This record gives sequence, structure tokens and C-alpha cells, in this order.
Amino acid sequence: MLSDIVLEVGNLSKRYNDLHAVHKVSFDVKRQEIFGILGPNGAGKTTTLEMIETLRSIDSGRVILDGIDVSKEPQKVKRLIGVQLQSSSFFDKLTLTELLLLFGELYSRQVDPIKLLQEVELKEKASSYVAELSGGQKQRFSIAAALVNDPVLLFLDEPTTGLDPQARRHLWGVIKRIRSEGKTIVLTTHYMEEAEELCDRVAIMDRGTIIANAPPQQLINTLVSNGFKKDRVERLANLEDVFLNLTGHSLREE
Amino acid sequence: MRLTWKMSIASMKMFFRQKEAILWTILLPLFMVFLFSFVSFDGFNTISLGVVNRSNDTAFVSAIKSVKALKMYEGTYETELHALTEGDRVLVVVLPPTFHPGSSDTVRTLLNARKPQEGNVAALLVQRVLDELTFQQSVQLTRPEVIVETVNSRNLTYIDFLLPGILSMSIMQSGVFGVAFGFVLLKKRGILRRLLATPMKPGDFIVAQVATRLIVLIAQVLIMIGAGIFFFDLHFQGNILNLLVVGILGGIVFLAIGFALSGLSKSEDQVAPLANIITLPMMLLSGVFFSRSNLPGFAHVITDFFPLTYLADGMRSITIEGASLVDIGGDLLGLTVWAIVSVFLAVKAFRWE
Repeated sequence: MLSDIVLEVGNLSKRYNDLHAVHKVSFDVKRQEIFGILGPNGAGKTTTLEMIETLRSIDSGRVILDGIDVSKEPQKVKRLIGVQLQSSSFFDKLTLTELLLLFGELYSRQVDPIKLLQEVELKEKASSYVAELSGGQKQRFSIAAALVNDPVLLFLDEPTTGLDPQARRHLWGVIKRIRSEGKTIVLTTHYMEEAEELCDRVAIMDRGTIIANAPPQQLINTLVSNGFKKDRVERLANLEDVFLNLTGHSLREE
Repeated sequence: MRLTWKMSIASMKMFFRQKEAILWTILLPLFMVFLFSFVSFDGFNTISLGVVNRSNDTAFVSAIKSVKALKMYEGTYETELHALTEGDRVLVVVLPPTFHPGSSDTVRTLLNARKPQEGNVAALLVQRVLDELTFQQSVQLTRPEVIVETVNSRNLTYIDFLLPGILSMSIMQSGVFGVAFGFVLLKKRGILRRLLATPMKPGDFIVAQVATRLIVLIAQVLIMIGAGIFFFDLHFQGNILNLLVVGILGGIVFLAIGFALSGLSKSEDQVAPLANIITLPMMLLSGVFFSRSNLPGFAHVITDFFPLTYLADGMRSITIEGASLVDIGGDLLGLTVWAIVSVFLAVKAFRWE
């Protein structure tokens, strides 16, 4: 029987000397939702994610992933999750196909590289090296690599940072489709429109703590009902809309 | 096991698709041998002649000495024959006890089979000197006849000395630099971190890396020796398996040093000076290019114990003397001690992040 809660984080903390990088962070992630962790740089988003991903030791608090305690059985957890790391790369001189096969081996799985590449719309790059990909293609490839073990939970750390508007929108489409195929996704971002577009629920993080946690629309409603008014009159379009209208939505990657 | 195998295959692919790596590990050492093959350190055109004088005659010896084209050495039969087989003489003249100019005794000479042209020139010169002495001494028409016997020998050239040295050096360079730079880059670019997010056992990854490097090392040895024999007239005397055993043992030492360095440095900028500090003194003082016999005594005290000294000496003994593993037991022992020390240091210093 599948429980509704896939990830349960309780009072998770990490200290570096005097700095509380992550301080008593708690949240739940439900099956098949996209959960966003929002916050400025240095808020502790990546540290939180890396503790859940078993890449960093947990000082205190607990993380239960699909019923498994991360600090007790990290190897089991690694088999259940797919991870896209911020600014991590892949081996040079292996083609995308070879990389996916190798990553499959790391999970003792025979994977179908073409199917995975199709998933992230990179089929035509199957025999390219990662170095030959554009920024958006690299991010999409690292999502494909995170899917080799058919994970229960997919972690994406700032997947669209540094991408142009077209590539970002394209990646949003890929992420939404992966969710619609039954995956649960946790992502971090510092783009508000991204959180609003993608996430069912967001946790806003600052200085190592979570200061709000709700669906985006609910957070906006709360703010407005508290009497908030924008300084400027709401416009019907912004500069990004102008940009996309002029340059089109299609990808420019080559 | 399957994973280690798959990872080794993958890293072999990565290695051989990197043109720079092939350039550094295989082509550059060969190019160095090629360059040095133009430099002749082998006795500039003087013909070295040995004389074993069993008679009381002195006229022949002094006449030979006056021939400018010949450099004459005098010694016992044993020492001169040894020098001949070592390639240090082209011809050895043996004067019988009854010899005197004008006698009709035959004069035996031993010819270096590897230098027939120089040897025959020397034999002609010897015959002429004898003829002149004979005609000066008497009007007899009999003269001592020179007979020539061919003796097999090995004539070591500078290439014979150099090639095993450069081979050892390239094993050191690709071990230390290859691993240290490779791992620092894997760390810096987040590739190791990404791997650690998978269920891969870190030990498997290290084993695959070491296996890959050792396979490359075997290729290095085979290609260098093969090219040496075919293109540079290398007089390879030894057993190639013995050479691989010493090479792999040396490879383990330098791979471990590479791993230790990658743990001590955070970026490529830190690796380079550290790796150079370790490898440069060995490159210059471990007898890669020149014999260590020219080093002053105090330098021996230190350089005798360099891992590259053990490796180069061992590989050279096998290559040019045909030494067995027992013969180079001292070098193997030295390398084994270094292997234990450096693997220990590598385990202590190596960091995944």
C-alpha cells in the first residue's frame, strides 16, 4: 500500500561552526506532487537537499523517504531517488548513450538510453558528448541521468539557473510531463515565476529556516488579504512576455 | 565485479578518446627516444682494439699505439674477451708467447660480431702493422698471419640505456600526473559527487580507475619496447613478462602517489607544483637520461632510494642484461616498500570531496 506522504523531513539541522546552515527544517512531500523550495542564495536549500540525498551528514533531525530512514539506510535511499545536482557535470569523452548505460550499471539496471533521452527530448544527441550540449540540453540530460533507476522521488537543484527564457520554459514542460507520468519531484529555485508555474506547494526558506509553506496561490491570497498592494499598477504583460513575444517560444540551442 | 568491469571499459574508452593523454603517455616518450637517437654518446669513431700480449715483444704494441684510428687497450685474455662481449672492443689481438716481429706464427684475433665492418678494418690495420714490422726486422718473406675469429657480443648503445629509463619515467608521469589531475578535475566538476549520489561503492570506482591505468601501463611498456626493437635497434635481452611485473609494481607506487596528491590539493593549480616537486628530482637524478655513476657520493645516499631509481634500474637490468626477477630482487624490494608506504599515504590523504 502506498502512503500519501513520500518524504517526511522533521527538525532537520546542519551547523558549520557558528553558522546554522539549516535549522530545524520540517516539511512533507506528497506522492506525485512538485514541491518547491524557494529562497535566496545561501538560504540553505542545497544543504537541505543534500542531507536528504545522503550526500551530507545529518547533524540532527530525521528524514524518512518512502518509509526508510535516510541516516540509517543511505544505500537503500540512494536506490529510490534520482538526483540532479547543482553545477555537477559528467565524464568527458563518453556519449550520452554510454553515460546512461554506465549510470544504469551503477544501479545494476539495464536501461534503454534512447527511451530516456526521448523523455527529455535529446534523442538526436544520443551519440554526442556532454561538452557539445547547450546549457538547457545539459540540464535535460542530467534529468535523464537522474531517471535511470526509475526513482520514486526526483530531486532537481536549481534546474533552470542560467538558462534563457525559451530553454527554461522548455525544461518546465519536461518537468511537468515527468510528474504526469507518476514521479514526485522536489526542486529548488530562486525564480518566483518558476515556482508559481510548476509547484503544487512551496516552502520559502531564508537563513536556514522555513518561513512559509503552502500552495503558491494560497501564499499570494494570504498576502493580499493582509492588505498588501503593489507599488505599481498591475500590468497586463511584463518585459519577459515582450521578449518571448518577439523572439518566439522555440528553443535556440545550437 | 561486473560493475568494476563496466567502469573499467568506460574509463578505457575515455582514456583512448583523449588525444592529449595518448600524446603524453605514449607518443611523447617515443619522440624523446627518437630525438636522443640522433645524439651519439658511443665512442666517436675511434676503433677500440684490445691487445693480449703473451710475448716479450714491445715493438708491436708501440706500433699499434701510434695508429691514430685505433684506441688500444691492453689486458689479460679474460678481461679483453669480457670487454669484447660487452661490446667495448671491436677486435682483440692475442699475441702468442713465441711472437716476435718476423716470426711466422699466426696471430689470433677475436672479432666483435656486431661490429664486423669496424672489426675488419681493425684486422687489416693489425695485419699492415705486422707486415711493416716484419719487413723492418728482416728480409724474410714469411710473415705472421692474422686469423680472425668471430665472437658474439652485445653492443649497448645509448638507446639501450635510455629507452628503459624513459619508459620508467613515463610510467611515473602518467601515474602521478594522470591520477592527480584526473581526480582533482572529477572533484572540481562535481562528477564524483554525482557518482556518490548513486549506490556505487566508492572502492569499486577506485579499483576501476587503477585497473584502467595499469592496462594503459601495459600498453605503454609493450609499445615502447616494440617500437624500440623495430625502430631504434634496441637490444632487448630480457623477458617481457618480468618487465611488466616491475612496471606494474612501479605503476602502483606512482598511482598511489597520484591519489595522495589529489587528496592534498583542491585545484589543478595546487596539483601541478606538488607533482613537479616530487617528479622532477627523480627525473633528473634517478638515472633516466644519464648514468648515476657520475653523481657525487652524497647524492647517491638519497637518490639510491628514489622509487624511480629502483624502477629504472630494474627495467634496465631486464632490458639490457636479461636479468631475472631474482637478479633484480633489490629493486623489487625497494619498490615493494615504496608501494606499501605510498598506498598507506594515499589511503590517509585521499578525499572524495
